Amino acid sequence: MRSGLAASLRALVPIALAFALGFALFAASGYDVAAVLAGLWQGAVAAPGSLEQSLRWALPLAIVSLGIIITLRTGEFNIGAQGQLLVGGLGAVAAPLLLPDLPPAIVIPLALLGGIIGGALWSGIAGALKVWFNSDEVINTLMLNFIAVLLIQWFTTGPFKDDSTRGENASTPRIDLSFRLSDSSGVSLELLVIVVIAALFAWLLVERSPFGLQSKLVGSSPRVAAWQGLRIRRIHILTYLLAGAFAGLAGALEVLGPSGRLVTGATPTLGFTAIVVAIVGLLRVPGALLAALFFGGLQAAILFLPIVTNLPSSGLRIIEGLVALLITAQFIWRRRRDSASESEA
Amino acid sequence: MTRATATATAAKADAIVRCENIAVAYGGFQALQPTSLAFAPGQIHALVGQNGAGKTSFARALAGIVTPQSGRFFINGREARAPTVRQVRQLGLDIVHQRFTLPPSFTVAEALELVSAKKHGGAFFSFNALARSWLQELKAAGLEVSPRARIRDLPIETAQSLEIARALAGHAQFLILDEPTALLSPSGVERLFARLRQLRAQGVTLLVILHKLREVMEIADTVAVLRGGRLVLPPTPSVQLSQRQLSGLIIGEMPAAVPGASPREDASIPAARRGVQLAARQASTRQSALEPALAGVSLAIEAGEILGIAGVEGNGQRSLVDILTGLMPVAGGSVHLLGQDVSALTHHQRRALGLRVVPFDRLTQGASLSLPLWENVTVCDAPRFRQRRRLWLNIGAMRRAARAALQQFDVRYDSLEQAAGALSGGNLQRLILARELAAAPQALIAAQPTRGLDFRATQFVWQVLRALKEGGGGILLVSSDLDELFHLSDRIQVLRGGRLLGAFPPPFDRRAIGDAMIGAQR
Repeated sequence: MRSGLAASLRALVPIALAFALGFALFAASGYDVAAVLAGLWQGAVAAPGSLEQSLRWALPLAIVSLGIIITLRTGEFNIGAQGQLLVGGLGAVAAPLLLPDLPPAIVIPLALLGGIIGGALWSGIAGALKVWFNSDEVINTLMLNFIAVLLIQWFTTGPFKDDSTRGENASTPRIDLSFRLSDSSGVSLELLVIVVIAALFAWLLVERSPFGLQSKLVGSSPRVAAWQGLRIRRIHILTYLLAGAFAGLAGALEVLGPSGRLVTGATPTLGFTAIVVAIVGLLRVPGALLAALFFGGLQAAILFLPIVTNLPSSGLRIIEGLVALLITAQFIWRRRRDSASESEA
Repeated sequence: MTRATATATAAKADAIVRCENIAVAYGGFQALQPTSLAFAPGQIHALVGQNGAGKTSFARALAGIVTPQSGRFFINGREARAPTVRQVRQLGLDIVHQRFTLPPSFTVAEALELVSAKKHGGAFFSFNALARSWLQELKAAGLEVSPRARIRDLPIETAQSLEIARALAGHAQFLILDEPTALLSPSGVERLFARLRQLRAQGVTLLVILHKLREVMEIADTVAVLRGGRLVLPPTPSVQLSQRQLSGLIIGEMPAAVPGASPREDASIPAARRGVQLAARQASTRQSALEPALAGVSLAIEAGEILGIAGVEGNGQRSLVDILTGLMPVAGGSVHLLGQDVSALTHHQRRALGLRVVPFDRLTQGASLSLPLWENVTVCDAPRFRQRRRLWLNIGAMRRAARAALQQFDVRYDSLEQAAGALSGGNLQRLILARELAAAPQALIAAQPTRGLDFRATQFVWQVLRALKEGGGGILLVSSDLDELFHLSDRIQVLRGGRLLGAFPPPFDRRAIGDAMIGAQR
């Protein structure tokens, strides 16, 4: 338990350092650091509605990061959550748009299922390429992100075009209010319940299932896994399907929740921030949930800050980027140190 | 002993390397107590002791790899206090490690250029010129290896020769070899020893860390013994010592009995398991990069039998194990497990039928060093530990099962949560045995099960394998240690160039088997 606490504290070091560096940069550029700091606090926590706004971003971050945890534990670097999220949104928006006359009790589960399947399929493409052609997953998942954006653009200018516009904002028509799980605030009991269920499911999967333990072995020692007769391909395929399913579910919740429609530009960095969330959470479900709250707050502040200070929102993106950079550096540094001490023995 | 001390004192005067009160500690663990000793020039010195006796720590301190806690060295009469690897090399001392240090992805020429004190290229060089000049260098050293070969593709013996050549290229006068024979075949050991004698004739002083007494007696001019981090015998001429005396010094008091013996005794074994447990019929493989292809290999292992596979390493042992386990497909012929043709089945499916494996390399194939002990033991069987409603795993039951298995095989550990990498070699091998033998397998493949283990751990592994055999299991034992094969096998077959040569029944004729291994005509 103590080592768990120590590990959590260690994870905070890069975050603190990122803020220090970021603020040094702001100060050097002539911004009022105190005002930015106050604005950050306001935007994430203190201003009216800001906590709700933080939670609004924490929820999708949490769900996507659950899938990232699974891939990183299996040793796969899937950076395609962004695309999986979009295709999940596409799968989710289909039912409400095509079956508007059916009751919500049928359409909403169908939409959620559509999101899960859409995300899983999109991720499954990268998984299949990896397993059967040993094709690099980093490249494939990254490129599938671009294809996903173009796919959505085709849908939003074609079959799912919003007829009230000329398609310039690349979005589908709004879905009927009866199918929505939340208003535009993005926080509701229904959404919270779904996130809790997803987190519980992910925790059982990671910590209490043969898949969870065996995928960890595949990730940490693939040769041992082979000599132990684990079905590595199966584990890999499952990993990708599950990761995509979580991202797709998050995409579906965006459509049924705050957005009310599918828009390509609504969440441009969510799938990437979720990777940082998973790593800051030490690839554990409770850790990722806490990290999601933190980065949700940061996201809320990013949107709020330009209102109260003259710092552009990209200022905080710098901090976000620094966090990702330093976390990765720490991750690699510790792995090197571990392997060094291993060869010492 | 008095005579030995006298010799050591005499050697001190003109010693090439002298240590005063060298001590090494890792964290709180005192690996080497303050130790003073001296090595006379122009001889082959052996340093022996069990695993954990402090041999490697001593060698590393001497070579400048670890900083000693206290003490000082004199190399060629010059004092070096806590020197770096570079300083030590400049003084003429070098080390060939147990695990080789040349970068695996480099070509031979690149690797040698990188580490050698003598540079063949300038600041910029063409690869061809580099390869050409190193080719000459290698030929001069009597090494048959292409400078364009990748280090990772080299057989162990060649990689080791390269390491020795690397050290000598830096004009080492005192060369430490850390367990150089651990990974070599018997004939490889012969060639290594010939090379060492040749170096001695050239005036190089050698310090060789060894495990096997027969090798010590064969090669060493003097022997020093470490036990539990203490020097119990300073360098003493080997002619004054018997193997019996030495083993007494190495082991200390003999253990009353090897602990954790006979794990199968209390298990319920079907009274009679008969028939062929594991077989290959005319099995062949495609050519691989590292080993000759298997050609028409046929073997059959009965219940209650140990079939030993002897052979110089790199003659198809890995391919043989791979096709029997299902990690590699057969190109022709078939593999049978308990009477069933399993040629098309995966390793997973063969395990489900009752096959278990102790892999060649416990560090990279046998156990995950970063995962906790209990996961290492139970992960393969995880589906068995589902709760009644099969929704999730019963972690408590998994940990209990792991604890029981580890206890049965007398694995010494602090906590079930500790990473397997923290275990010593012997304990890690016990863990692997505990896992593989937990289900009382009907067929076991044991590949080099005691490589690198000390006396006590080796005895334990042998006892476990014998117990499994007596319980009716069929065992394929692949080993490059003839003593081990003679101890355990009911029959021995020799693998040479991918072909399995005739069966040798006991009593085993060391000569005949040795000749078959190297293909000598009689």
